[in-house]
Amino acid sequence: MRHDGRLPGVLVAVTKGLLILWAVPGQGGRPPTLQQIQALVRHMAEDAQELFTFYEKNQGLAINHLCRNNHPPEWLRGPETVPRGLQELRGLRGTMVRMAQALQDITRHQRDLNPPGAEILRRLASTHLKVRGLLNNLDVLYPTPSPRPGRQPPPSPAAPAKVFQKKLEGCQILWSFSRLMAKLSSQLEGKNRRARRDRQRGRRGSRLPRRS
Amino acid sequence: MMNLFTVLVVLLTLRTCSNTYPQQESIVFPVTYLNVSKDLALQQLLVEWDVGKAAHDAELAMSFEIQVHRTGVKTTVWTEFHNVTLDKSGKPLNWIWDSDFPLECMSHSVRIRSKADASKIWSQWSRWETVLGLDTSNNSGPQIFPNEKFVEEGSDINLCCIGRKGQTIKGFFLDPAIHAFNHTNSQVGLLTVKNVPHQEVSYITVYCEESCKEKQCYGHAGFFLGKPPDTPNDFSCQTQDMRIVTCTWSQGGDTYLYGRHSPNYTLFEEFSQKPVPCTASCSEQCSCSWDIGQQRICNITVTVENPLGKKTATDVFNVTHRIYPVAPFQLWEECTDTEITLYWKYQNIGIKLFCQTEVLHPDGNVEVHNSSAMDPQYVTLGGLQPYTEYTARVHCGAAKHFWRWSEWSEARTIRTKEATPSGKLDIWREITPVLGGRNVTLFWKETPNFQGNGKIISYEVTWEKVEDDSKPESISFTSVYNSTRISIDDHSYRISIMAKNNVNYSLPSILIIPRATGTKEELSGSELKEEQVTGTDDGIFISWEPRYIYDSYIVDWCNFPMLQPCDLQWKRFGPNTSSALIYSAAFAPGVRYNFRIYGSVADKASLLEKKTGYLKELPPLLDPVVENIELTSNAVTLYWDSYPTNESQPGFVRGYHVYVSPLQEDCSLKGSEKHVLPDNSVLCKYTIENPEEKRYTVKHLLSNTKYQLVVKAFTGGGETPIVNFRYIDTPFNSNILYLLVLLVTVPSLVAAICRWKMKWVQECCCPVIPSPSKSKVLSFKGFKIGSERVLKISSSNPDILAVDSKAEAQKSHPWSQLSSTPQEEKIDGHDSSWTYPKENKEREFTSTYAPQTPICFENFAYSSHLAVESNPYQISETLETSKPELPVVLYQPHHYFNICNEDAASTPQETTGRKASLRYISRTAVHCIGRRL
Repeated sequence: MRHDGRLPGVLVAVTKGLLILWAVPGQGGRPPTLQQIQALVRHMAEDAQELFTFYEKNQGLAINHLCRNNHPPEWLRGPETVPRGLQELRGLRGTMVRMAQALQDITRHQRDLNPPGAEILRRLASTHLKVRGLLNNLDVLYPTPSPRPGRQPPPSPAAPAKVFQKKLEGCQILWSFSRLMAKLSSQLEGKNRRARRDRQRGRRGSRLPRRS
Repeated sequence: MMNLFTVLVVLLTLRTCSNTYPQQESIVFPVTYLNVSKDLALQQLLVEWDVGKAAHDAELAMSFEIQVHRTGVKTTVWTEFHNVTLDKSGKPLNWIWDSDFPLECMSHSVRIRSKADASKIWSQWSRWETVLGLDTSNNSGPQIFPNEKFVEEGSDINLCCIGRKGQTIKGFFLDPAIHAFNHTNSQVGLLTVKNVPHQEVSYITVYCEESCKEKQCYGHAGFFLGKPPDTPNDFSCQTQDMRIVTCTWSQGGDTYLYGRHSPNYTLFEEFSQKPVPCTASCSEQCSCSWDIGQQRICNITVTVENPLGKKTATDVFNVTHRIYPVAPFQLWEECTDTEITLYWKYQNIGIKLFCQTEVLHPDGNVEVHNSSAMDPQYVTLGGLQPYTEYTARVHCGAAKHFWRWSEWSEARTIRTKEATPSGKLDIWREITPVLGGRNVTLFWKETPNFQGNGKIISYEVTWEKVEDDSKPESISFTSVYNSTRISIDDHSYRISIMAKNNVNYSLPSILIIPRATGTKEELSGSELKEEQVTGTDDGIFISWEPRYIYDSYIVDWCNFPMLQPCDLQWKRFGPNTSSALIYSAAFAPGVRYNFRIYGSVADKASLLEKKTGYLKELPPLLDPVVENIELTSNAVTLYWDSYPTNESQPGFVRGYHVYVSPLQEDCSLKGSEKHVLPDNSVLCKYTIENPEEKRYTVKHLLSNTKYQLVVKAFTGGGETPIVNFRYIDTPFNSNILYLLVLLVTVPSLVAAICRWKMKWVQECCCPVIPSPSKSKVLSFKGFKIGSERVLKISSSNPDILAVDSKAEAQKSHPWSQLSSTPQEEKIDGHDSSWTYPKENKEREFTSTYAPQTPICFENFAYSSHLAVESNPYQISETLETSKPELPVVLYQPHHYFNICNEDAASTPQETTGRKASLRYISRTAVHCIGRRL
């Protein structure tokens, strides 16, 4: 059988697609489980890392790792403590709202630098969709009162005047976002492991013979 | 008052100067005021200066030399002469200099000197007036200039990086990397890129790095790289309804500037001096539409602009001259069998339109019909074929001030109505005699002249006797048939065939079947000789002898001669035709086609000639099978009687080739041609040019030899390669065997008989001879006869007794020498009486042999085995050829008497025999003198 070099990539893409289909529940469906959220976050962490790596190289910002600062914007710092359950993910919603807006800003800026259909625009659009997907899940989990008519979304941060500054800021946001998603994914994974361990311990404990 | 006085002084001075030439040349008006400022947005130095008021008042024409100096550059970067005529307003003078380097990068100084045109002397230079570069004292990091500039591909750009105080520039480069001239001194870095090439990205990042490591030691900037927009091409405006005007233009090449920097199009109406309220949209072409209201004359300018440039295009037009009508719609038609009237509608915009109809014919031809100017909403298309599909479409344009055609209407396919079939069917027949009559197979087809003019629904076949008025018989076939078979008797018949459509019948096609004479040959034409014809790439060429009584000729043939039915085909030719190239898509190479040529007069056809041929002859598929072989020791006769030469062959068999070769070597038989095989082995080739001659005898073969042979038939297409041979072994030649048997058997038999009858033979031929010692005659001593002394015979037996006629002969007789020669050799194991004279001695003997007449006697008692040979010379020769075996085989008898006469001894055979053979001459053979068996 002939082996196509692109096959592994295609398989990964298909797998991710199926994962998203499972992780993002349809409109009006049942609320997502913690596992679904966890799977989506894990996938988004990988995607955010890929987007950052591509952006950094594509924009010529890999020199001296200009974007990789350790001072993310406050809204991208994430929860200090490990979320204990679905309820604890409530704080993530605000972050995702801001992130969706930031991605739109970055995309708008990149449209001035790239021809329509450029790879960076495609990737930004894809990540934006995933952020919107996670937001939808969180909206199902934590319904909020519908916004009043005429109310605008929070304004995006003041646009820096210079192109390079904007590129750099976009890059820093993507770096912080990838760090946040990686951290979140890791925390959820660890929590899941602990939960499994506790369940197993509990089952073993219940099976132990009682001493009379 | 004071000013007036000054003016008077100046005028007086000039007046004086004009009168005294040397004084004029020395008048100067130095720069009294100089101010330099910078416009960083435009990167310009703004220079303002002035000369004395007197110069203004005098309205002098003056020249100013302006020099620009850049800090850190040793030479003056710019020198320019500025000519101006001063006026009395006294306003300071201005000059603007566009800097090619960012003004922030370094300080720039300007100085000026002046000269009145009437004077030859320049004033002193003014002092340098300096504008400083960027003040970097408060900078948080290195600064790069220019930043965010738009640079046109192929132009030059100069960049600089200014480090902070106390810092040196360590790195200053571009990403993506572009070849640049880099010059850095301690605090300022300069980067010059000449002829900036196109890059994958539109934004080029510039990095500058001081020698420290902290975050603030890095500076970043960038510039956009692209092209100015192209001038809008093919800019024109038109309207479909005289209200909405649409202007279109082509977009031009890529500017490589995107988003907000991509080309922006704006339209402006010059007469109304208003921007056109439309938004351009571009895909393949750009277009913009808006409502012009009642305006009829427009002057539209389209402007395309991006940060690198601006281009415009203009179109001035009268709206009524730019009518591009809406495509006609709602087409419908009325038609007859030869005419279509097509109607349509179009949008009424208050001006007259003119329309065109395009008609697509079934053969692919396209006709264009113009509609009437009076009524452009229909057109009549005439001269059409009945029951034929035509496709029509319409477009319109302004009848007056034509601008362009509208889009085509939807195409409409229309079929004309049916009409009576025109022309006649082409019909033919094949007649087969049967018991009591004939079977006639009738064929019909549509000729190019025949037009069905509708859907043919049936064919009507009618036949009737010619001679009497019997009722015609008739039969009808649906349109799927193109042949039928009818049975008729031997009378003459008249057959007619007609095609019928929904309207009517076609004219009948007539065929007369003549009265049968009863002979089979009449129908088959077997008495006619069949001629062979040759094919070409374009078909099979047939010719016939023209006979001027016929009004047409018909050639018929079968497309598939080996099948039944064979798909009979026919072709008609005019009376003046006597040859034709017959081609059919069914013709295949290697198939024999039989053609019959008929002459037709008054619908009655007669067979004239028969032809047969191939489109292309191929080599025979099968080789002749040699069924019988007659073999002798030196010839072989091959038979292949059953090999067919008929139509089953893929070509006319022209003859045969017989190939022969010995198995192990090349062939060179007498009377053959040489044929070299691909492996370079050589065969003998015999050609038989009569295909009916199916036997051949190959002669001159060697006996007892293995041969390979093959028989190949050849046609006009050649012959197939030799693949298989047949092998034969020629037998041993029995005559030689018989000879050998004779040579061995007969002497053996004789020898056996002799041995058996030895005693008798001895008695008969060589009786016991009494001992001479006992003879009284020979027992004397010193016996003399005349002068001759008679030999005294000892007790030993004499070997030879010679009686010579001459006394001299006795002296030189070889035998005496032979007996006494010391060169005699004796062979061990043999009787001591054997002598072997050496060959040289024999030559001596021969040469010295005197021509005398000795008498020789042979005692055949000692050579019995040779007695069978009547010719003693022959024996001698035989002996000579088998010299080494002489003593063993042929001289078994131990005694040989040869008493030769002179004649015999002188013959060559004798001489030869003497050379080779040994003779033992016995002195006891006296009594045998003159006797010979």
